[in-house]
Amino acid sequence: MDETLNKGIYLDNNATTQIDPLVVEAMLPYLTTYYGNASSQHGFGLPVGKALEKAREQVADFIGAEHPDEIIFTSCATESDNTALWSALWSQKNKNEIVTTPVEHPAIMQTCDFLSSHGAVINYLKVNDKGDLDEQNFESLLNEHTALASVMWANNETGNIYPVPRLAEIAASHGVMFHTDAVQAVSKIPVDVKQTCINMLSFSGHKIHAPKGIGVLYVRRGTRYIPFMKGGHQERGRRAGTENIPYIVGLGVACELAKQHLDTVATKVRALRDKLQAGILASIPECFVTGDQSHRTDNTLNVAFKYVEGEAILLMLNEYGIAASSGSACSSESLEPSHVMRAMGVPFSAAHGTIRFSLSRFTTEAEIDETLRVLPGIIETLRALSPYWNQNKPKLKHIDHEFDAESTERRA
Amino acid sequence: MWDYSDKVKDHFLHPRNARVIEDANGVGDVGSIICGDALRLMLKIDPETEVIEDAAFQTYGCGSAIASSSALTEMVKGKTIKEAQKITNAQIAEYLDGLPPEKMHCSVMGREALDAAIANYHGKSYEQSHDDGELVCHCFGVGINKIKKAIWENHLTTVEEVTNYTKAGGGCGSCKMRIEEIIDEVWEDLEKCGVPRPGTVPTPIPSIRVNSVAPVNSTAAVMDDKTKSSPLYAKLMEVVRTVNAGFTDGSKLELDAIEQDEVRIALQGPAAAGMMKDMTVNFVTAKFTEACGQQLKVTVL
Repeated sequence: MDETLNKGIYLDNNATTQIDPLVVEAMLPYLTTYYGNASSQHGFGLPVGKALEKAREQVADFIGAEHPDEIIFTSCATESDNTALWSALWSQKNKNEIVTTPVEHPAIMQTCDFLSSHGAVINYLKVNDKGDLDEQNFESLLNEHTALASVMWANNETGNIYPVPRLAEIAASHGVMFHTDAVQAVSKIPVDVKQTCINMLSFSGHKIHAPKGIGVLYVRRGTRYIPFMKGGHQERGRRAGTENIPYIVGLGVACELAKQHLDTVATKVRALRDKLQAGILASIPECFVTGDQSHRTDNTLNVAFKYVEGEAILLMLNEYGIAASSGSACSSESLEPSHVMRAMGVPFSAAHGTIRFSLSRFTTEAEIDETLRVLPGIIETLRALSPYWNQNKPKLKHIDHEFDAESTERRA
Repeated sequence: MWDYSDKVKDHFLHPRNARVIEDANGVGDVGSIICGDALRLMLKIDPETEVIEDAAFQTYGCGSAIASSSALTEMVKGKTIKEAQKITNAQIAEYLDGLPPEKMHCSVMGREALDAAIANYHGKSYEQSHDDGELVCHCFGVGINKIKKAIWENHLTTVEEVTNYTKAGGGCGSCKMRIEEIIDEVWEDLEKCGVPRPGTVPTPIPSIRVNSVAPVNSTAAVMDDKTKSSPLYAKLMEVVRTVNAGFTDGSKLELDAIEQDEVRIALQGPAAAGMMKDMTVNFVTAKFTEACGQQLKVTVL
């Protein structure tokens, strides 16, 4: 492996995180010594079974589940999300409607699209220009045919935190099952499911410094449920497939560490994020923060740089070893800008130029300073190239047409 | 992150001719901020010699859009308009040691800007000199002519490729069926020009094609000596020639066998499909009967 690869500045923690060395250390014995099957009753299986139950308790403690048996280990949050939607539709008679938001992760959006083409009715909440939801709008969509309301706890692009405990309460008062995709919330805000009416909650390990390939679905006792994966009796018959013990052990430790570091995120990480935001807004003209700054995860900053394109910004940042991500079309396989930016009504002149910086407890002040040192120059360079940026540029003598960033006209 | 060639990176990080030519006399504006990329190409053309003396660009877009623009300005400088017009999008991509397939539309945008700049030099707008034709992709505003051109020049065979080159079909996707039809239309013409279409065989559902490694399964007729020695042979062959000359959709009629008053024919192309087949057979039967002066029974191979 290329040793220089990981020497860069990693500000893409909402995409994935580095594995905490303590997590790796805890996992190693389960990749070597303890390879038994947790279901086996012999000497190879028993210690593994115990490790599995310990991890379940660590996870339950982390999200405030009353009973460890409410924790189901899955392969990833996408599987957890699929399971929640599928189970809610299949386990309740005469209910075929789902209420969700237009800013969900594709794990929910695409699954809903699929279910909708197979007869389910999907009702989307409205979001305003800050990406916020309206409680009354939510309540108005619930009815006796609603199988599930699924609202993410925090948004991956903007960091917006949604009032999930309140929405779960409203759903419960209408007898509607409630699920939340909490991938971007856990480890960033305190989560205590036993104090809420949430029926199901999804999250994954790799967003909280555990490895990829391990996820969790919390299912409150008493919630109607049928398994998505069928097969063996693992996870009390609720998720078939041999348990991925090393990763489950790693996730348990990652949850314990995340709980310890909640304060670090709220203080140190937040201060660094705020420094980055203030620095960008002070040094770069024509840019703005997307999302709702009054309730946002402390590690996330999404800035729209007008008149420049996101992928070009990322490529130049990459030249300085800085990693971030973009809601721009060009940086993904899709040709259209992020569905979150479009749902919020961010104009095209800015939506293609959105950059998300997401920090972690491993981010240092020196890294933020370096980012602030190079970013203004990058935006200036790209604007010098952009026909939409006409400041300090000579005008053409023989042509009167100018590129207008607000125009919806397409040429050629 | 996209895996760009060193040359793309070089042209992106150190773009050539990224400036404004104030007295440019050929300016090509293409793209829009909605689509995520836009390019203004500025040319300084000597009216006497029609040589492009200077070229510069301003581009809003991703790394490959900027690199393609930079490459284009280097390629056209010093060329006459006529020479420059021969540059294809593939040559722009080649100049950069290739672009990822999903980014080929950046080279197409460069080619369009060149057309637009030359049209502008001649005192025409790009719209005047170029008919977009039927609007196929409403999300990205792509007309049929641009799609046909991309298919024709780059021998594209799939909707995905067309999206990579033109963006058409990259939004809601509701035009994908139409793009598939256009691909078929263009390939009929390409095949007439002797370009073999990479292995596809038609399936019973016209909109679905199955890729096949085997060569196209042809039901070409093979005539035996008995047929060739039939007294009707010459007259029927004459009719076959006339009918084939009349097909404008790539259909083909062949004589397979003659046995007394029974004639077997082979049909290919649209004339062999569905209701068109019955109409074609009726028409051919009438023509055969007329040419031979006797009632003939026509069957299809």
